[in-house]
Amino acid sequence: MATRLPGTDVVIVGLGAAGGVAALPLADAGLDIVGIEAGSRLTKRDFAPDEIRNNVRDWPFAVRKCATEVPTTRRTSADTAVQRGGHPMMNGVGGTTLHYWAQSWRLNPWDFNVASETTRRYGASRIPAGSTVEDWPFGYEELEPFYDRVEHEIGVSGQAGNVRGQKNPRGNPFEGPRDRDYPMPALRWTWFLDRMADSARTLGWQPFPGPAAINSEAYQGRSGCMYHGHCNKGGCHVDAKNSPAVTTIPRAEATGRLKVVTHATVTKIETDNQGKVTGVTYLQDREEFFQPARFVFVSTYTYENVRLLLLSTSRAFPIGLSNNHAQVGKHYFSHHQGAGVTALFPYDLHAWYGLPAQGVAVDEFADDNFDHEGLDFIGGGNMWVYSDRRPISAASMGTFGRAPTWGSAWKSFIRENADRTNSAYIQKSTLPYAANYLDLDPTVQDPLGFPVIRITAEYKQNEVAIAAYLQDKMERWYREAGAIEVIRGDLGGQMGVTTHAYGGTRMGDNPETNVVNRYGLSHEVPNLGVLGASVMGTSGARNPTLTAQALAWRTAEHVANNWSSIVE
Amino acid sequence: MMRATHWMPALCAVLGMGTAPPGAGGQPAARTILVESPVMTSGDAMPRTYTPDGPNLSPPLTWTNLPDGTREIAVMCSDFGAGNPAPWVHWIIYGIPATADGLPEGLPILPETSMPSELAGAIQGLNGWRRPYYRGPAPPAGTPHIYHFTVYALDQPLGLQPGLDRQDLLMAMDGHILGQGDLVPVYTRF
Amino acid sequence: MTDERPPTISRRALLRGVGAVGAAAAASAAGVSAETAVAPAQAPAAEATQPARTAPGRVVYEQLSAEEADLLEAIADQLIPEDEHGPGAVAAGAVIYIDRALGGALSDSRDAYRGGLAAFERYCRSSRGAPFRDLSHVDQVSALIDVETGAATGARAGFAGSSGAFFGMVRSHVLQGTFGDPYYGGNRDFIGWDLIKYPGVRTAVSPGLQTALEAGELKPNHRSAYDADNFEKAVVSNATKETHHGD
Repeated sequence: MATRLPGTDVVIVGLGAAGGVAALPLADAGLDIVGIEAGSRLTKRDFAPDEIRNNVRDWPFAVRKCATEVPTTRRTSADTAVQRGGHPMMNGVGGTTLHYWAQSWRLNPWDFNVASETTRRYGASRIPAGSTVEDWPFGYEELEPFYDRVEHEIGVSGQAGNVRGQKNPRGNPFEGPRDRDYPMPALRWTWFLDRMADSARTLGWQPFPGPAAINSEAYQGRSGCMYHGHCNKGGCHVDAKNSPAVTTIPRAEATGRLKVVTHATVTKIETDNQGKVTGVTYLQDREEFFQPARFVFVSTYTYENVRLLLLSTSRAFPIGLSNNHAQVGKHYFSHHQGAGVTALFPYDLHAWYGLPAQGVAVDEFADDNFDHEGLDFIGGGNMWVYSDRRPISAASMGTFGRAPTWGSAWKSFIRENADRTNSAYIQKSTLPYAANYLDLDPTVQDPLGFPVIRITAEYKQNEVAIAAYLQDKMERWYREAGAIEVIRGDLGGQMGVTTHAYGGTRMGDNPETNVVNRYGLSHEVPNLGVLGASVMGTSGARNPTLTAQALAWRTAEHVANNWSSIVE
Repeated sequence: MMRATHWMPALCAVLGMGTAPPGAGGQPAARTILVESPVMTSGDAMPRTYTPDGPNLSPPLTWTNLPDGTREIAVMCSDFGAGNPAPWVHWIIYGIPATADGLPEGLPILPETSMPSELAGAIQGLNGWRRPYYRGPAPPAGTPHIYHFTVYALDQPLGLQPGLDRQDLLMAMDGHILGQGDLVPVYTRF
Repeated sequence: MTDERPPTISRRALLRGVGAVGAAAAASAAGVSAETAVAPAQAPAAEATQPARTAPGRVVYEQLSAEEADLLEAIADQLIPEDEHGPGAVAAGAVIYIDRALGGALSDSRDAYRGGLAAFERYCRSSRGAPFRDLSHVDQVSALIDVETGAATGARAGFAGSSGAFFGMVRSHVLQGTFGDPYYGGNRDFIGWDLIKYPGVRTAVSPGLQTALEAGELKPNHRSAYDADNFEKAVVSNATKETHHGD
């Protein structure tokens, strides 16, 4: 029997990128919040520059609930899904933002209107067969104030390319107009990044530094980045990585309105017979608690958002909470970031002390920034060249067929070339399709006996065609900078478990095809909100986190501003 | 020594052993080279020495009856019953001087070891494992596989670089093959 | 709050000589005498940072038997050999790293090592007629290639699964032990980091340091992430799993 706790206004399930941001506007509005987090609270003393602990052993010092519930994957519904590998996400106060790469992009305006813009420019027949893509219920300009707010609340460094229509040639010429500059200048470049930027200019492109939720200088009383080279899957030892764990969460706690509960696994969102949410049941140290709440946000990442809704069945919602239209788990897609390109250079790149958010971007072939007449796809990819190298991964590099992979000849090769490779992953527009979806696995369960998520998804022709097109561009760029070997990854295939997972609780005005409305609230449950990339219907060609955070802020502010009408 | 005998006549018929080699369409009638080995014969089992059940040395080969005008020689060992697409390639050597009348046992697998002087200029290309040396048969247990040691006589030195695989070599040899011949032993793992 | 285990001496602690050649090479590369370059008689697990500093000529293996450690050293010596470019995996203590980790983070791999090393030895005897250590250099390389490609799988040596999977596991752990933080018992005297010219762990890299690196003027920083007291210590080898920090 669950212990019934005193009630609260709001429960946020999951204090990661989205939930951790949403807590602040709710607390500022005077609402009482209980934030329930499966992981623990980690500090900068936990963030040693130790490749074995961070990258090889996958944070053994942290509580990793996600590792016990790795989704199964299969390519199509004709296949049997199996678990492969681990889970790329993190549990903890701050979630995966504790060790993420922190690239903090806004989507480009086209990403909000893929269906209508494609139809207008090229005709409806150019929307790929089988895709369920819809326009977002609003455009870029609706989200701009929330992008701006989050960029300043958490701290994002970058170079603006378009401030209220004023273009700046040092920034992204294709970005939507922003109200003001980034609060901090972009992270510094290295000699190699300068060289790549020069090569891009030679090719007629406009390179620019990417935006990052990493302090390029002291901000809000926290240090600037120390460039120590362990940012990839490492936490920040000086709190310069602007996770909600060091920004919005402590600020919300300081209001006295946010109570954080750690080591707690929510097993069900409870509902009454009228179909309203009453609170959540969670387990902590094998003890069961019921936390009553007038409003519940799920912000547990795409896979767990879908799983928690599907597991929360009731009389009012027999096949899952907010799933009476059978849309939970639909319109799933994972960002096509594979099909990378790796180059070998005849000179040292001096990349040992870089970080993956420190890089040079080219947007000429992203979104609809180029004419697709005569091409066999829509959308495109953002090319991103960055600094990232650690000793074990450097020594594990491929040898481009120039040497064996062990022995004296390998040793000689690695001695010369460990600092001479660079890999670009290319983030590509990825669309939802009717055949790609999430549901509960019929056989595989977590240790509590709950089914894990089953991913049935593959990249389709449109994504594969983008990959091939962008690999050509990327190879050209590397060759221009002097690469002597270039290797291309496979073009596509099955979608695995990823840090860029979208959909499953898509946002839109039509309840027949979307789980949440334009404010991120359930179409079917008046006091349930969903936060995170699971509400996004398109990916764009860049990292999702800032968009998920801007949406979370917007949803939380909407709830706070309309509190009485929503909960009464 | 194990021998697979009962099915060999049929196999020989399928392979057209002892007759002119197949293929080479569009080229002048290629002459058959006689390929032999002091350690094995076509249709018989390869000794373990030349497999991973033994020290996995490259086997000794000899050839006679080279066509007139042979200026360079290449050798490939392929298993047409494996690989996707077939064949799986166990060994490639090209740039063998036309003066050579065979290959000695145990060609180098170490990058620092050079070819014997009579093979000066010869290069071991990339096999199915993308490695520049011989790796012998390792078929699934109980399933006999047959291995084509094919010798190609070429009408000119091709001046090829290291690192070629089967596809690269076939393309490079196109139009230059004066003749070829096979030694086709069998290997079964138990 | 700490995840460090109190130092203990393994019940299965075993004294054995380290390969003298490797030790001497390590010593000469580091410019110190062989006596100071080899392992302590009773290295506490959690202080594996300096497994090579006290009792001369001996390494304490906690998990591997003497035969297993011998064989693994011989394999590691082929994977990253000592040569004109300096010492290799053995001198770097890669096998010590693996041994310690088999009692900690890699304990799930203990059976894979036990079974894999035994199968590897059986394979060498059946195919090349001698234990791996007694084979010629070229036969050692040849045997390792056949294990790597999976060709040894069907040789009735008894590899559990593919011999290639065993090889891949050993190679990745040897790389970890050679190029990982020396705190875990490998990368002794920063042999691995110097080999690939990694300039070392630093907690702050100013624009000036980056410029010096790009100019080839940055001296390697020979220190472990845990040398200073900035960070909670990681677990090297223990019987209990790391526990969470928490509030």
